[in-house]
Amino acid sequence: MLVPIFTLKLNHKINPRMVTVGKFDGVHPCLTAATQAGKVFIHNPHARGQRPVAHRLSQSTQDSDISLLNINQAVTCLTAGTLGPNTTGDTLLVGSQTNLLAYDVHDNADIFYREVTDGANAIVLGKLGDIPTPLAIIGGNCALQGFDYEGNDHFWTVTGDNVRSLVLCDFTGDGKNELLVGSEDFDIRVFKEDELVSEMTENETVTSLCHMHGSRFGYALANGTVGVYDRTARYWRIKSKNHAMSIHAFDLNADGVVELITGWSNGKIDARSDRTGEVIFKDNFSSSVAGVVEGDYRLDGQQQLICTSIEGEVRGYLPASKDLKGNLMDSSAEQDLIRELSQRRQNLLLELRNYEENAKGVSETNSGVGVIPANTQLQTALSVRPATEAQKAHVELSISTPNETIIRAVLIFAEGIFEGESHVVHPSAQNLSGCIRVPIVPPKDIPVDLHIKAFVGGKTSTQFHVFEITRQLPRFSMYDITVDSSAAPPPGRVTFSINDRPQRVVMWLNQNFLLPEGVDSPDVTFNSLRGGGLLSISMASNGQITLRTDDIDLAGDLVQSLASFLAIDDLSAEADFPGYFEELRTTLTEVDEFHSVHQKLTAAMADHSNYIRNMLVQAEDARLMGDMTTMKKRYRELYDLNRDLVNEYKIRSNNHNALLACLKSVNQAIQRAGRLRVGKPKNQVISACRDAIKSNNVNALFRVMRAGTASS
Amino acid sequence: MEIHLNRVDYMQVGVTSQKTMRLLPALGKKATQKVAIADHDGILTCFGMKKGEAVPVFKTLPGQKIARMDLGGAAGTPQEKIFVCSGSQVRGFTKKGKQFLTFDANLTESINAMHVSGADLFVCASYIYNHYCDCKDQDYYLSGDKINDITCLSSENLTRLIPVLACQDRVLRVLQGSELAYDIEVPGPPSVLEQFNKDGGNNVSTGEEILYGTSDGKIGLVQIGEDSAATKWELDNGKKKGGILCIDTYDIIGDGVNDILVGRDDGTVEVYGFDSASEPTLRFEHVLSESVTSIQGGCVGKESYDEVLTATYTGWVTGLTTEPQKAEVGPGDEVRMSKETQSKVEALRAELEQLQVKVLQGREQYQQTSQSSTAVSAVPVFSINDKFTLCQDDASYSLTLEVQTAIDNLLLQSDVPIDLLDVDKNSAVVSFSECDSEPNGNFLLATYRCQANTTRLELKVRSIEGQYGTLQAYITPRLQPKTCQVRQYQIKPLSLHQRTHSIDQDRPMNRLSLVGQFSFAEIHSWVVFCLPEVPEKTPAGESITFYFHNTFLGTQLEATYCKGEGHFRSDNISTISILSDVLSKEATKRKINLNISYDINDDSVSHTLKMIHPKLEYQLLLARKVQLIDALKELQVHEGNADFLIPEYRNILDDSTNLLEEYKKQPAHLERLYGMITDLFIDKFKFKGQNVKTKVSSLLEILDNYDLNSLLNFFSEV
Repeated sequence: MLVPIFTLKLNHKINPRMVTVGKFDGVHPCLTAATQAGKVFIHNPHARGQRPVAHRLSQSTQDSDISLLNINQAVTCLTAGTLGPNTTGDTLLVGSQTNLLAYDVHDNADIFYREVTDGANAIVLGKLGDIPTPLAIIGGNCALQGFDYEGNDHFWTVTGDNVRSLVLCDFTGDGKNELLVGSEDFDIRVFKEDELVSEMTENETVTSLCHMHGSRFGYALANGTVGVYDRTARYWRIKSKNHAMSIHAFDLNADGVVELITGWSNGKIDARSDRTGEVIFKDNFSSSVAGVVEGDYRLDGQQQLICTSIEGEVRGYLPASKDLKGNLMDSSAEQDLIRELSQRRQNLLLELRNYEENAKGVSETNSGVGVIPANTQLQTALSVRPATEAQKAHVELSISTPNETIIRAVLIFAEGIFEGESHVVHPSAQNLSGCIRVPIVPPKDIPVDLHIKAFVGGKTSTQFHVFEITRQLPRFSMYDITVDSSAAPPPGRVTFSINDRPQRVVMWLNQNFLLPEGVDSPDVTFNSLRGGGLLSISMASNGQITLRTDDIDLAGDLVQSLASFLAIDDLSAEADFPGYFEELRTTLTEVDEFHSVHQKLTAAMADHSNYIRNMLVQAEDARLMGDMTTMKKRYRELYDLNRDLVNEYKIRSNNHNALLACLKSVNQAIQRAGRLRVGKPKNQVISACRDAIKSNNVNALFRVMRAGTASS
Repeated sequence: MEIHLNRVDYMQVGVTSQKTMRLLPALGKKATQKVAIADHDGILTCFGMKKGEAVPVFKTLPGQKIARMDLGGAAGTPQEKIFVCSGSQVRGFTKKGKQFLTFDANLTESINAMHVSGADLFVCASYIYNHYCDCKDQDYYLSGDKINDITCLSSENLTRLIPVLACQDRVLRVLQGSELAYDIEVPGPPSVLEQFNKDGGNNVSTGEEILYGTSDGKIGLVQIGEDSAATKWELDNGKKKGGILCIDTYDIIGDGVNDILVGRDDGTVEVYGFDSASEPTLRFEHVLSESVTSIQGGCVGKESYDEVLTATYTGWVTGLTTEPQKAEVGPGDEVRMSKETQSKVEALRAELEQLQVKVLQGREQYQQTSQSSTAVSAVPVFSINDKFTLCQDDASYSLTLEVQTAIDNLLLQSDVPIDLLDVDKNSAVVSFSECDSEPNGNFLLATYRCQANTTRLELKVRSIEGQYGTLQAYITPRLQPKTCQVRQYQIKPLSLHQRTHSIDQDRPMNRLSLVGQFSFAEIHSWVVFCLPEVPEKTPAGESITFYFHNTFLGTQLEATYCKGEGHFRSDNISTISILSDVLSKEATKRKINLNISYDINDDSVSHTLKMIHPKLEYQLLLARKVQLIDALKELQVHEGNADFLIPEYRNILDDSTNLLEEYKKQPAHLERLYGMITDLFIDKFKFKGQNVKTKVSSLLEILDNYDLNSLLNFFSEV
């Protein structure tokens, strides 16, 4: 049984996921974590009392090993590592909603302090692709930015939604690091510098990523899933009712291969084999885990796994010694083996008994058992149902039995289309029948496997047969084909050319849409059931495809899906979405307005703080002079001023939030324009858009979005 | 004194009932003992351990489910005859497996508790107790509530055999012949009885003390006299462990005093030793993954090493032995296994392979039948061990489900609004599904997807008094062909009430009286419908009185009724209101004309409010303190210490962990109290014929700035 080699109680709360270990003087590792009240604490048990107190740094009065760093803003992420070329030790990087600070703890000096309008939700430090210097890469609202040691941004790109997790690893196996980005739109995207190489769709916000070894990496989702990917293929995953707070790769059983260490919200720590997900070790904290890191904390040349809880408890584990034989749990392997085998035997015996009893046959009178004809087979069908007065538009899954048996209940397990992971239909006793219709409204255009479990039996049964069926819901299922061509096609469109036969496009249509009897020409019109109006697809004889819809997201999804179906690497397109572009234009003007308001408010605030200083001095003077009436008057004024400031702050923060929302939609617009293209043209569009925004050239931005290039 | 016990698994039989495994007395000193165990397949297995392997002595043929087992024999000889009961039949076997007795007790119900002592046989079906001597009928008794267990005392100090029954209505009934001598009130529904002083491994009691365990996890010792009893001690269930299923006494610690071995339905095995003051203290605890149905101390695995032998619900016989586990790490990388285990594993693997082939054949045949149009598919019912009980501490229901193989998923459906609470022990992934109360009447649809190897699930459900219906659980185990079984649990209108033995008569009470043309059985069935823990069988006699108390508020209810008449008294006006609603509805269903009269005591409302007051005040204070904790901590960090704070705040900081824990333990406690006060308010004026629903918002306002006097005023003013 593996036990911690050291346990510390730091008496400081630790913010989840904001823990790191840095060697700030180049030698001694220090546990560094964000705590309450916009502070970062640095635990340095190795160099006691040698620390000067100045600038941001102050000694904690509770514990001499701990120094506190004042950030004066809520910290959102932090990391430590080598950033500059000639520094003695590691640089500490602290991100907040508006700024990024690079700080040299050893010299007690700021290296740079940059304003980042998109915020910093996640940070990673290291080399990316061919960029020669290490970068501090932060992920904010739909944007990624990389800074070098001077604070210059060398890297910028956009991604689909707010970034929640980042990791650098050699995904493609070319010896250079790629950036893996987990975001709130459930996607893990892989960037080779600013080129998007791969995209994996999960079913919840990706909260953590960690590099295991080679091209293998671990991930954690907001719904309690953790798992391991190798490139784009998922090796394994497990789901718990608790949430994974932090994941880390560490070779705990000393077999030369790292395990995935997960810290859970209920305080559990477990280590799982990277191949199978089997638990090889677990331990429990009394409160939620905040972070899992590693470092040579005892300075004996061995790396320890360091786990921290949000209440400030720290435990360090050494990799297991050889004589534990990889058996870290407190149980004997042989007992477990025997138990497992016996359990299997018991299961087989039970199954056998089921068949034997079944063969014997049961009298029909015993209806409680739920006797059904042996040839009962469930029929399932998917169809698109447009909106009626009673019900919203939906995809209907109908499940029926061919005989007089009834379906007591239907459980559908599917990811990403229900609120939880399952949907249940349980008719009341009066409404039991052999047919159940389940309305499904997929919120996004993703292909989903529906794992259906239907309980089939008699009306009075207490035991039912469980039928398990898996059906696939095609990606674009919420579109109803229409033959009525009289309606005017939507003005939004995207046009591109392919070198493929129309039959292939027809095949793609049949696979990705829910079509009652299939189509045989690539010219079709659909009605979007989500209220997005019409969608028409047409293909000219020269291979030019025109998609007409007002929904730019849908157009992007269609382009990406078609391109991956036809295995197209590079695809440029011309697009025009008048409605959307108009909206974007307004947003851009709003951004300008918000910026100017922001500046005005900042100036006003500076004014006010000067006033306050004056007022305070005057009031204190009056107090010392014994002039109580003036003092009271001054303090009353001060109070009013304070109230004004508070109000102003509210305005400021509202303004800031509105600005953030606008910036996010601008970033999304760039991302959307990119998604209308594939491969190189896509990256060109994104970087051209970025340039246009930088130079504040709105017309150029729209030109790029329409034509795909900046020139002409 | 610490003890270390190591777990050893011996073998697995079918699903077992409570108290169906016993150790046969040892032949010589220091020899290992044989184990007799009976299961639901009706098989009685007797085995001994030889070189780490279970060697069967005999095994009977399958038959009806065996509910109990006991050992017996002529007085003065070793108690090595095995008695098992299945259905209404008792069979006796010698230790060699020869059947020497078949005795039909001629009961209409099946026997669920049995005790053998010399030539005396005591059996109990649900409500009936029967005593036979040499298989001749001696005494008979009809108990007021279900009998869970029976034991019998005999000692030099006693002139006769004294049978003691453990009854569901929280009493131990001590009998004399066919008459009740007296009864002993215990703190929970007793589920198991055991003699405290036993003569070695023999079954003959030598003292007058009896240990009892309750289904809510309490243990106690009572001394039984011929016409009175005295409670020696009681152990509370502070840590909310499972209910007691089996108890034994054995000196496992080796200090010369018998220790108490306890098995619980959440898989906990405990050993209690006695300190110098003869107080029981917990010495050892081990958690198995499933209910412990039988427990006994003895020596099975290896000579001269004592152990605690347990049997679990799925039929595992497991020992917790004092024999130290060998450190078996040799050269080479493989974990070396002892020869015995190796051969055991090989044998198992071989058996598995054979079974696999058979199962494949079975599967094929099953598939073939699906082609035929006349064949039917009927899968035998799998057994589920379930329990749905009210927890006194937090006034919520706990539902435990146990299946003999791993559970795949569970669907919970309810047609009444209930809250599903999170249970730490439960690792299954829960997912709530959207409910359509119209037209299907679902208020809760939740699925639990279980992790591999989960055979036991524990859930917590919070109900609201006055809203009643059914909770259904569909359990699907991981077993081919896949089937699921539904279990139903009634959520009764007064779901938070619990039976007690007496109530405080001095409180101001409201009365509800019913007069009408109904029989005793009819009104009893209505009471059963309304209140938990009432026996389903109509009580003997002309009339009956039951007492209840509300586990959440502490208010009480007295129900007295007979043919044509019923009286219900409670200090809580809401209880009376719910009862009158439900009873009149039930009577209308059966077309019985009821004459309902009320006697409302206005003092009762303020009395109830005063009863709620301390709870409410405590909760409000707790909530306020918890709210402050984070801010205070931040201040502490900012200032470096907490010395500048006033003592009150410093106390909050020092006590923060306890406060948070307390707060976590009682989720939504405040909301529930608010809800009950609102009900009280509405009900008070309902009886006056006023509808005050419009004033509820002002009531909530007062609650937000809570003060007892203003609340009392509000109640009296409106």
